[in-house]
Amino acid sequence: MTPVPGPDNGPGTSLRSERHVLNRAHYRYFLAFTLPALAVYVVFAALPLVNSIWYSLYDTDSGVARFVGLENYVYLFTNPTTSERFWNALTNNLEFFAIHLVVEVPLGLLLAALLTSGRLRRSTGLYRTLLFIPTTLSVVIVGFVWRLIINPLWGLIDFPLLGDERTALPTLSLMSVWQYVGIPMIFLYAALLAVPGDVLEAARVEGAGAWSTFWRVKFPLIAPQFGLIAILTYIWTFNGFDLVFALNGSAPGPNYSTDILGTLFYRTFFGSSGQLSDLDLGATVASVIFLIILVVTAAYFGLLHRRLRSYEL
Amino acid sequence: MHAIRASVALVAAAAAVLTSACAPSATPVTTGGSAAPAAAGEKTVLTLGSWRTEDLAMWEDEILPAFEKSHPTIDVKFAATNTNEYNAAIQSQVDGGTGPDLITCRPYDVNRSWIKKGYFEKLDGKPMLDAFEPLALDPWSDDAGSRYCLPTAAVLAGFYYNKGIFAELGLRVPTTQAEFLDVLKKIKDDGRYTPLAVGSSESWQLAYNGLYSIGPVYWKGEEGRQGLIKGTKKVTDPDFQKAFDAFAAWKPYLPKGFESLKYPDMTQLFTLGKAAILPDGSWNINQVAVDGLDVGVFGPPADVAGGERYLQEMPDMAIGISAASTNKAAAEEFLAWTATPEFLELYVNKLPGFFSMAKQPVTYTNTLAQSFADLKNGAKLTPRLGLDRLSAGTPPFDDEVWRVLQLMLNEDLSTRQATEELQKGLSSWYTPQQ
Repeated sequence: MTPVPGPDNGPGTSLRSERHVLNRAHYRYFLAFTLPALAVYVVFAALPLVNSIWYSLYDTDSGVARFVGLENYVYLFTNPTTSERFWNALTNNLEFFAIHLVVEVPLGLLLAALLTSGRLRRSTGLYRTLLFIPTTLSVVIVGFVWRLIINPLWGLIDFPLLGDERTALPTLSLMSVWQYVGIPMIFLYAALLAVPGDVLEAARVEGAGAWSTFWRVKFPLIAPQFGLIAILTYIWTFNGFDLVFALNGSAPGPNYSTDILGTLFYRTFFGSSGQLSDLDLGATVASVIFLIILVVTAAYFGLLHRRLRSYEL
Repeated sequence: MHAIRASVALVAAAAAVLTSACAPSATPVTTGGSAAPAAAGEKTVLTLGSWRTEDLAMWEDEILPAFEKSHPTIDVKFAATNTNEYNAAIQSQVDGGTGPDLITCRPYDVNRSWIKKGYFEKLDGKPMLDAFEPLALDPWSDDAGSRYCLPTAAVLAGFYYNKGIFAELGLRVPTTQAEFLDVLKKIKDDGRYTPLAVGSSESWQLAYNGLYSIGPVYWKGEEGRQGLIKGTKKVTDPDFQKAFDAFAAWKPYLPKGFESLKYPDMTQLFTLGKAAILPDGSWNINQVAVDGLDVGVFGPPADVAGGERYLQEMPDMAIGISAASTNKAAAEEFLAWTATPEFLELYVNKLPGFFSMAKQPVTYTNTLAQSFADLKNGAKLTPRLGLDRLSAGTPPFDDEVWRVLQLMLNEDLSTRQATEELQKGLSSWYTPQQ
């Protein structure tokens, strides 16, 4: 449908030089429009990141910064207590991510499919808004409301879901899923809306039912979205912090069963009641989180994303 | 493509330049203070750093005007940071040369590390120290016994009880552990009220309002605490085991689903009149007495009738003079004022639940606060067990206590397992215990 940009096959030299001039003007505009954003990005995002990695190579505990190379990293991974907490937080984080992926994405697909099915008729807009509202709420409200709903004393459920080591993390993850299911839903909804009507009409003429139209026509067309949703969920859950902190504080129990990398970082960097704040070890944890996200995201874009082929229509 | 390459190079260059500018500073603190020395006729401006953002109005409207009235040349500004970020904020401010003139001091290890970094002016030999007992000054001293901060307030821990329920069931305030358990049993047998409003979701209060409150009777307060610090006693000693046993004895008297009840749930359970006893800290005074509930308070029970009574008095905050301040004389004047009854009475009565640590008794206008303060009479005072030195390494003893107490209630971890785990953690890094 779209013309494929290829090597310059313009007919004459005059046109070519004209294009050259255009390109230079284009380049100037490019700079003018990107530089302000770039400067803000560098100062407020890239720089603190680099600085934090830099910081993790120093020991500042005595008040005087001393370069120690990778000593902080060695300590984080080899000290029995800190490494136990780190691996525990990482495992919990993986579980947190997995629950989001397994529950939130299919649920988002289901809701998007229902919204675009036409069965809701004129109330589509209403449902779309209702389903998206939780996403716009503050995590503090979401945490508070859910904690009251499942409170064994005055809530609906008799079992202390958040007080049991086995159920605390899944419960918390599902609260988060409830809140953010609107995100994959809206992505997939937009993709489904973009499926051209003539294709669907052709499918209908060929005798395909609603079920096979969805799975054999619509689904392949929106499939590339899943890669993007998965990687966004990954980044988002590994940067996760707010809901856990709002519900369980910086030493999230019971027995650290809801501790994720974000809270581990917060506890290390800012300290807790009984724990001194350790700036350089905190920076180390932050850098490790950054690397965990970077490696997977880079691998995704480098290896997987390129191979995802959109169907040309 | 060129454009992209150029921008990448630009980012890299900018990053390199700015990073070298922002690298961790290796220069010791030299500049500081927030104002230049006052010229004649001008006011000296002092800043007071604090973690109690909620007290801003109280300081600005009540306390500081009282000070400035008698000291017209000094203008004190209250500069508070969020509680959780206070330590990191002060560290980066002082290291960066922008710290306040007066620093509010955290007790024990945090302050000890700040003393080591040279944040404070030494107070040794100053007359204002005479208003306090050594036990009150110790939390803010270095290993050699030099003093750096002047105590402002402490918090106490005890048991709030619903007088109505006690009268209805014909119960008397327990004074020994046996009486305490008997009272709990009677309330449980009656069946209408929860004996103890305790949830285990927030583990800190199991330690601070539970074990550290009822335990000193068994480990004999300072004797046991100093024993752990010096390494002459172990957590696995019978004295400590008895304390953990006394804590485990609470389990049958907790509300349904206690595993996921939070601190506000506990308070609510008590204030709604559904629970008879709430083990809590003095800071919660205003919340427990809300709704006109008739509330009394009693201290941790003695081991046997006529036995020694103990009470947890936790030094909460003190104030020190920043070594980098350019207004030390004015700062000292302010600090000396905080040791006077004028300040202390103003402070503790504006903040019911906080108690003066000074020798001279203070009158409390809040009756519940006064009865809390009365518990100090005849009782041996001791701070929380785990916060002094024992938590300055990894794993921090205090955090570990929170964790094992929660496991004792939630997962039936035994006293023996709990104390062994704690001892193992402590021995792994704390030299006197090795």
